[in-house]
Amino acid sequence: MTEYSAFSHLTIGQYLPYSSVVHRLDPRAKLVMFTLLVAAVTFANSYTASVVLLAVLLGVVHLSRTPLRYALQGLRPALPWIAVFALLQLLFYRNPYGPDACSTIWSWGFIDITSCSIRQIGLMILRLLEFMILISLLTLTTRTTELTHGLERLLSPLKRLRFPAHELALVFAISLRFAPTLAGELERIMKAQASRGADFGEQGRLGFIKRTRNLLPLLVPLFLSALRRAEDLTLAMEARGYTGGRGRTSFIQLKVLPSDYLALALVFIFCAIILLGGLESIDQQVFTAVSDCASNVFGFVRR
Amino acid sequence: MTHVLEVEDLHHTYLPGSPFEAVSLRGVNMRVEEGEIVAIIGPTGSGKSTLIQHFNGLIRPQKGKVLVLGQDLSDHSLDVKWLRRQVGLIFQTPEQQLFEQYVGDDIAFGPRNFGLGRPEVRQRVKKAMETVGLGFEEFKDRMTFSLSGGEMRKVAIAGVLALEPTILIFDEPTCGLDPATASEFLSKIRELRDQEERTVILVSHDMESVAKLADRIYVIVQGRTVLEGTPRQIFSQSGLLRSYGLDAPQVTQVMHGLRHRGREVRVDLLSVSEAEKEIGRRFDLRQRQAETVA
Repeated sequence: MTEYSAFSHLTIGQYLPYSSVVHRLDPRAKLVMFTLLVAAVTFANSYTASVVLLAVLLGVVHLSRTPLRYALQGLRPALPWIAVFALLQLLFYRNPYGPDACSTIWSWGFIDITSCSIRQIGLMILRLLEFMILISLLTLTTRTTELTHGLERLLSPLKRLRFPAHELALVFAISLRFAPTLAGELERIMKAQASRGADFGEQGRLGFIKRTRNLLPLLVPLFLSALRRAEDLTLAMEARGYTGGRGRTSFIQLKVLPSDYLALALVFIFCAIILLGGLESIDQQVFTAVSDCASNVFGFVRR
Repeated sequence: MTHVLEVEDLHHTYLPGSPFEAVSLRGVNMRVEEGEIVAIIGPTGSGKSTLIQHFNGLIRPQKGKVLVLGQDLSDHSLDVKWLRRQVGLIFQTPEQQLFEQYVGDDIAFGPRNFGLGRPEVRQRVKKAMETVGLGFEEFKDRMTFSLSGGEMRKVAIAGVLALEPTILIFDEPTCGLDPATASEFLSKIRELRDQEERTVILVSHDMESVAKLADRIYVIVQGRTVLEGTPRQIFSQSGLLRSYGLDAPQVTQVMHGLRHRGREVRVDLLSVSEAEKEIGRRFDLRQRQAETVA
């Protein structure tokens, strides 16, 4: 049965051993590009910008040879939440910019569905998709060791300000490293409890209450084993002479190639266009065109 | 005798169609009769754990057949709860699945899940605790996480026994236990079969315990059943076993060594006392001792 196996197949943090242009980029360059693109996704406030971003990201996914299924797999567990948020926004977003900004589509009592709420939902879904693809792309194409080194190097100028760059990178590496391990552990515990008759898949009228109560037999053993692992890890690190980041040299020597600069420049220009290019106006034009068309059709039907 | 478990040409692949695809089972065949103790042995990664997870429906057959008490597990309308009451699966290091504060509650988790009434649950918990050798009154209100490792494992096993399954599956039951506790566990497993007529399936790396307990052995290598037979039949083929990365019990290896040096001894021996008798018979030890003294 796949219901238990699903947990150990979390794609976040699971490096896919393909070989592609995206895989070969310098991790520092990738982190910078990731940050830029996250900013672009966060602040893109028009359909046009979002759609263009999504298209470009899908292009990069293709370029990295990652199956799209993998890039989007993390989305499935989030679907119910997306649905809930979408519903809330549909019902209560209403009209924050004054009556002129949006047109009311349907209203009943205190519920007011406006063109703004529809827009908000559309953008939110696009944004979530893009975030998911971005995060998956980063972790699916970069080894955690590379990522950690990249992060540490990027943050190292801050070390002078006593910023714990090395420690932060280590925490990051450990959490990425142990995500699949803990997921595997969770699967094992689920199977053990299911063998004792626990039911995790069951949906009923009060399914969610049952589900929450059913979490206890999973969480207690999971936390215990996580704590045990943490203790083992500490001992193992100390036994191998780990004393913190000071004076540590590295086996992986990062080297920035011309292709990295090229990719960085491309992403930078792209993000600038998305954020400053005034793509909202295209939205406006498309909207007016669509609404004109719609009113013509409606008008025609009414007549 | 009726077959309580039948496996026919079972195949399983993890994550098919992904870069992590891994073939685990490539054609396993086995049959277990009622009241038998059957051991499954094989090197690490041979698919033993995948195989036993089929038996209580944690994994459904992808290709091939698994029949438990005559029910086909490929049938999706099969009642999984029924199956899990019939087949008790005890995972490796089961003490790591404990979660309740009190011993009694943890053991009662299974029976409660199957909707049994309070008196019935209490009676089953009591019986299960006594079977594993934990006094009911003494241990039921003890804090689970204050117990020793061996006691915790007993609690975990009692948690499965309380379901009163007809087939019991143990995955490495003695792994990580000290020798005394380990042999105590093994005799408990034997008692379960002898006194309560449970069918037992045992997965183990410990050839000594397999030799002591099992009526029959299946050897699984790279997801295939390669050998089947009684412990005597299996362990007398020590060369073949070694080629699979396995070994016979040490006593049996000693006998193989003697035979290899040209001594005409039986090699299908499983216990120290059997070997002692055989060696004594062949070499007439007492006479030799007398000679060396003189």
